[in-house]
Amino acid sequence: MKTPRPPGSDPLAPIPPVAGQTLDAQLHLLDRQVLDSDGVPVTTVDDLELGAPEGEPETPIETVIPTGTPAPVLRALLTGPVLGTRIFGGRPPSSRLIRIPWADVASVGVVVRLGVSGQGLDADWVERWIRDKIIARIPGGRRDPR
Amino acid sequence: MILGDLLGTPVHNDDGVWLGRVADARFVVDGAPHRLMADARLLGLVVSPHSWSSFMGYERNSLTQPWPLPKLLRWRHRGSFFVMWEDIEVLGDRSVRLRPGYTAYSPALDGNGQE
Repeated sequence: MKTPRPPGSDPLAPIPPVAGQTLDAQLHLLDRQVLDSDGVPVTTVDDLELGAPEGEPETPIETVIPTGTPAPVLRALLTGPVLGTRIFGGRPPSSRLIRIPWADVASVGVVVRLGVSGQGLDADWVERWIRDKIIARIPGGRRDPR
Repeated sequence: MILGDLLGTPVHNDDGVWLGRVADARFVVDGAPHRLMADARLLGLVVSPHSWSSFMGYERNSLTQPWPLPKLLRWRHRGSFFVMWEDIEVLGDRSVRLRPGYTAYSPALDGNGQE
């Protein structure tokens, strides 16, 4: 493997200024905790789904992208059973990943905050199932501990 | 497209010369407005010839402490560069190819590394 340096680019120019908040996927989104509108933890961001902006044709994959094609946008935060694939490689099938639409994201900082309640999301169904089927059957399990 | 498929993908120029791997994808929240946040559009990709993993983004900010971690991590990511979406000709989970005459930008983030 050689020639890793891009031609004629030392030192490299800074990126032209942009108007909005800049987010690097690995630094600012992946593995971040997701809180719902009440501040209750929902899940963590395991992956991200990209897609063409609304009303635009799908971004070509593995074929030449015509000049002027609009950049893909973040469609959803993905979460799911990724422990095994993180150890052994690969990723779960797309159908096994649970999507939290980007339209439900209220802010991105140290944590990702949603503008909706976690009760209606599929992302924490395991927690709800354990609460309703196991914890609730323990004597005193239906009482608010606060 | 799932972003995880793109990270670590080999990046080549239009002559097929290997330039590195996709280390990260940068988004900017300036797309179509929604009820809560605007669309986050893909601004471009960070390409690294030595390592496509990142540890707390030291190589993309100006932090110098704790010594000697920032220096070591920047050395590990030497030669990294950023390409804008407009300079990407082919995007896929097997390879990414850049357009002829693409511009390589510094992958550094401003200020505290957030935006």
